[in-house]
Amino acid sequence: MGTAAADQATEETTAADEEVIFRVGVLQDIDNLNPFKGITAAAYEAWALTYDTLTGYASEDFAPVPRLAESWEQSDDGLTWTYTIRDGVTFHDGEPLTADDVAYTFNRILEGQVEKTNYGSYVSQIESVEATDDTTVVMQLKKPTPIMERLAVPILPEHIWSEVDDEEVREYTNEPDAEPAGSIGSGPFMLEEAREGQFYRFAANEDYWGGAPNIDGVEYRLYRNADAMVQALKNGEIEFADDLDANVFAALEGEEDIEARSSVYYGFNYLTFNGGAALVDGTEIGTGHPSLEDPQVRLAIHHAIDKEALVDRTLDGRGSAGTTIIPPLYPEHAEPEDPITYDPDEANRILDEAGYTMGSDGVRTMPDGSDPLVYQLYSRQNSQTSQTTIQFLQGWLEDIGIDSTAQTVSESRLYEIAGEGTFDMYEWGWVVEPDPDYQLSTFTCGQFSYESGSGETIYAGLNDAFYCDEEYDRLYEEQATETDRAARAEIVQQMQLMAYDANAYVVTEYYDYLQAYRTDRFTGFVPQPDPDGAILFQYGTYSYLNIEPVTGAAAGGDDSNTGMVLGGVAGGVVILGALAYLLVRRRRHPAADVE
Amino acid sequence: MALGAATTAEPVAARPSGGLGRFVGFRILSGLGTLVFVLLFNFFLFRMLPGDPAARYRAVKNISAQDLERIRNELNAPLLEQFWDYLRDPLALNGVSAWKGQPVWDLVGGRAWPTLVLLGSSTVIATVVGVWVGIRAGWKRGSRFDKVSTGVTLLFYATPEFWLGLLLIMLFSSGIGPFPSLFPSGGVIDSGVEPWSLDGVSSIIDHTVLPAAALSAVYLAEYSLIMRASMVDEQSQDYLTTARAKGLMDHMVRRRHAVPNASLPTITLIFLNIGFIIGGAITVETVFSYPGLGLLTFEAVTEQDFVLMQALFLVFTFAVILSNILADLLIAILDPRIRT
Repeated sequence: MGTAAADQATEETTAADEEVIFRVGVLQDIDNLNPFKGITAAAYEAWALTYDTLTGYASEDFAPVPRLAESWEQSDDGLTWTYTIRDGVTFHDGEPLTADDVAYTFNRILEGQVEKTNYGSYVSQIESVEATDDTTVVMQLKKPTPIMERLAVPILPEHIWSEVDDEEVREYTNEPDAEPAGSIGSGPFMLEEAREGQFYRFAANEDYWGGAPNIDGVEYRLYRNADAMVQALKNGEIEFADDLDANVFAALEGEEDIEARSSVYYGFNYLTFNGGAALVDGTEIGTGHPSLEDPQVRLAIHHAIDKEALVDRTLDGRGSAGTTIIPPLYPEHAEPEDPITYDPDEANRILDEAGYTMGSDGVRTMPDGSDPLVYQLYSRQNSQTSQTTIQFLQGWLEDIGIDSTAQTVSESRLYEIAGEGTFDMYEWGWVVEPDPDYQLSTFTCGQFSYESGSGETIYAGLNDAFYCDEEYDRLYEEQATETDRAARAEIVQQMQLMAYDANAYVVTEYYDYLQAYRTDRFTGFVPQPDPDGAILFQYGTYSYLNIEPVTGAAAGGDDSNTGMVLGGVAGGVVILGALAYLLVRRRRHPAADVE
Repeated sequence: MALGAATTAEPVAARPSGGLGRFVGFRILSGLGTLVFVLLFNFFLFRMLPGDPAARYRAVKNISAQDLERIRNELNAPLLEQFWDYLRDPLALNGVSAWKGQPVWDLVGGRAWPTLVLLGSSTVIATVVGVWVGIRAGWKRGSRFDKVSTGVTLLFYATPEFWLGLLLIMLFSSGIGPFPSLFPSGGVIDSGVEPWSLDGVSSIIDHTVLPAAALSAVYLAEYSLIMRASMVDEQSQDYLTTARAKGLMDHMVRRRHAVPNASLPTITLIFLNIGFIIGGAITVETVFSYPGLGLLTFEAVTEQDFVLMQALFLVFTFAVILSNILADLLIAILDPRIRT
C-alpha cells in the first residue's frame, strides 16, 4: 500500500511543478565529477552539460566551431594564436567569465600534474597562455599544431578553483556540497543533485549565452543491468536508454512509442598481431611467434578473416566491416582502393608461396622447417564480441594451417600481456577522437613498451601491434604540425593506408552505437554527424539544447495509479492461488495411491 | 572499542553465569584474532590480482605516455613500503578510492544504508515466514500443507537469486499481460526526494519491494527446510511423549517443548546468514541496480580499486565475525549445555 501512496505522491508533485525533466538511463557511472580526475564517457557527458569548452565540434561533421572562443586567428608562423572570448558570459553563480578564467584553466594544466591526465595532449606544444584583456587570450607555441582549433578543455572559474591547490585537486569531488562548491561552470545545465551510484540531476541554465534549453532539466539514472534499463524505458521511468547491446536493442524494435536507433560511431574492434615485441630502445621482449613478423603471414591471416560474418554474429549486423584505424564517419577516413577480401584460398596460396609448408598434421611450419605455427590468442572477459571473434578466428586460422590456443582474460591483465609481448594475437577496441593525432600515434615506434624506473616491470605503450616504420613516423610528425586542414587530411589518409597495407591490425568492425528513446515524450534530437550519427553522448550538447517535450504528453509522469496497483495485486494473488491449487492436486494423487 | 568493554566484564563471575562470561570473553577474543588475521591476509590477497591497474586509463581521451607513466609510478610503491603504509592505517581511515576519488569510508557509508534496509527487510520476511512454514510443515509431516510448502520452498531454494530478480522485474516492473507496472526497475530512491520525508520513505519502500522479495525467497526456503527437518527430528523425542502424557494440548506441546528445541539450528543459521548477506547480496543488488555494498563490491572489483576493496572486505569480515559471535551467544543463552 505504501507503493500506491508513493506513486500518487510523485504524480501530485509532477503535476504541480510541471517540470520537464529529460531522464536518461546509463549503464556507466560518472566516476568523478572533477574534470581533472574522471575518465568515463559518462563523466565527460556531465562536464559537457556543466562547462563550456573553448572550441567545439560541429554537429554535422565534427569540424571545429566556436564555443567560448567566438573566433581565433594564428600568426603567419603559426606560433601565436589569439582567441576572442565571448562577451557577457556568466558562470552559474553569477560571476562573469572572462579571458582570465580561460588563461587560468590552461595555465593550471600547463603547470599541473594531475591536471595533465585528461588534457595534457592539448597543451603539449603550448609555451605560454596569457589574457591580454577581458576578451582576448594569446597562446604562444613551441611548434605549430592543428590541435589549437580543437581545444575541448572545460573552462573553469578561477575564483573557485584557485581555492583548490594542486594537492587538494586529487581528492576534490567537485560536487555541489563540496568545499568550495563544485560544478560551477558556464554550460547550459547546472548540477543540482548528485547521488553517487544512483542518479545525477541537472537544472537548465536559463541565462545560457546560447539560449536557454527547451527543457527544465536532465537526469542521468544509473542502471547496472541492461535489461532493467530497457524495462524502465518501456514503462516510462526514463525517456532515453543509452549504449544498448544488440540483444536488448532487437527486443525494442517495433515497440510502440519507442524509437530504437542504430547510429554510426567512432569506435572500432580489431585483431592485433605481435609484429615483433620490443622495448622503445629496441630490446626484444616477449614470446611472439616469429612468423608474425612476416607481413605476408599477416596478409594471409587478413584474407582468412570473414569480417562480414563477424558483423553479423557479434553485432547482429549493426555495424560494418572495418578497414583503417580512422572510422568512416570522420572526413579524414581513408578507404583502401583495393581492400583485402575474405579469401581463404588466396591466404593458403600466399603462405605456400612464402614457404610455410603444411605439415602432415595440417599445421604449417616456418620456412626452415622449425616452429610449427601455433598461436596464443587472447580475448577480453567483459566483451562477448571479443570472445566470439576469437572463437571464429580459431576456426579461420585452422583453415589455413595455423593451430591456436585461446584464453579469456580481464582487460587489465590483457594490457599487461600486451606490454610484455607474451601473445600472438588478441582482440580489443579503440574509440577514436575527432582529431586523428592520438589514434595515429598508436602506430609510432616511440609507443613500444617501456621499463619501469627500477627496470623490473615492463609496461605497455600504445603500440600493441609493435608496428614500426620510419616513413610512418616521419608522416606522423608532419601531420602534427600541419595546420591546414585539407593538407593534413591527405597525410593522415596516407598513414592509415600504410598501416593497412602492412597489416599492422586487422580492423574487424566499426560498430554502431545503439540508443533508444520515447517518441511520445521528446522530439528534436540532433545527430552527430548528420544524418546517421549518435543523438546523445556526442562531442557537444546539441540534442540537450534542441529537444522539446512532445505537446500534450505528461512529461516525467508516472502512469501507474492506485486502481491499477490493486488490480495487479489481485491478479498476482489469483495466479499464485491457481498455481498452489495445481500443485496440491498433483500431489494428492500419488498420496492416494499409497494408501 | 565497544568489544573491549565486554571483555573486561569477564572477571564478574557469578556462579550460574560464570560459564557464560568466560564463553563470551573467549568468543570475542577469538573474533578479534580472526579480524587481525584477515587484515593481514587482505593486503596480500588484493595485490595478488593479475593485471595492470593503469589499463583503465588506456581509454582516456589522448592520455600521453608520460602521464601514464606518472600515474603508474604513483600506484607503484615497493611492496614493503605499501605494507608499511597499510600497517599504519589498516582500517583505511585515510584511504581514498582510486576509482571515485572520494574517501573510501564516505563511499562505504553512503552505500551502507540501502544494504541495511534490504538486509533488514529480507531477513525479517525470510525468518518470520520461513520459520512459521517450517514449524507447520514439520509438525504435521506428510500433510497437504507440508507437501505444498516443501515443494515450493525446494523450488525457491534451487532458484538463483538474480534469475528470480530478473523474473520479478519482467512481471512487476514492466508489466506483462494483466500485470500493470507496479514497481520501479532499479535504484533505491527517486531524485528530488528527501530520504527522511514521508515521500522519501515510501519511495524507498517502493524500490525495495522487489529486491527484498528476490533475496528473501532463497533464505526463506532455507530456513523453512531446516526448521522442518529439526521439527521432524524432535517429534520422536521422549520428552514430547512425556509432555503429551502430562495432558498438554497438542499446540502447547509444540509451542512450549518442540519449537524451542527445534529452533536452535535455524537461529544459528539466521545469524550466520546476516553476516553473509551484507556482502552476499551482490547479484540481487546488481540486477536491481540497488546502490548497496554488494553492488559497490562488484564495482570495486571491476575497477580494481584496492583501497575500496580493502575497506569493503573489512566491513564484511567484521559483519561475519560479529554475527558469528551473536549466534554463539544466543545459542549459549538458549541452550545451557553449550556453555561448558
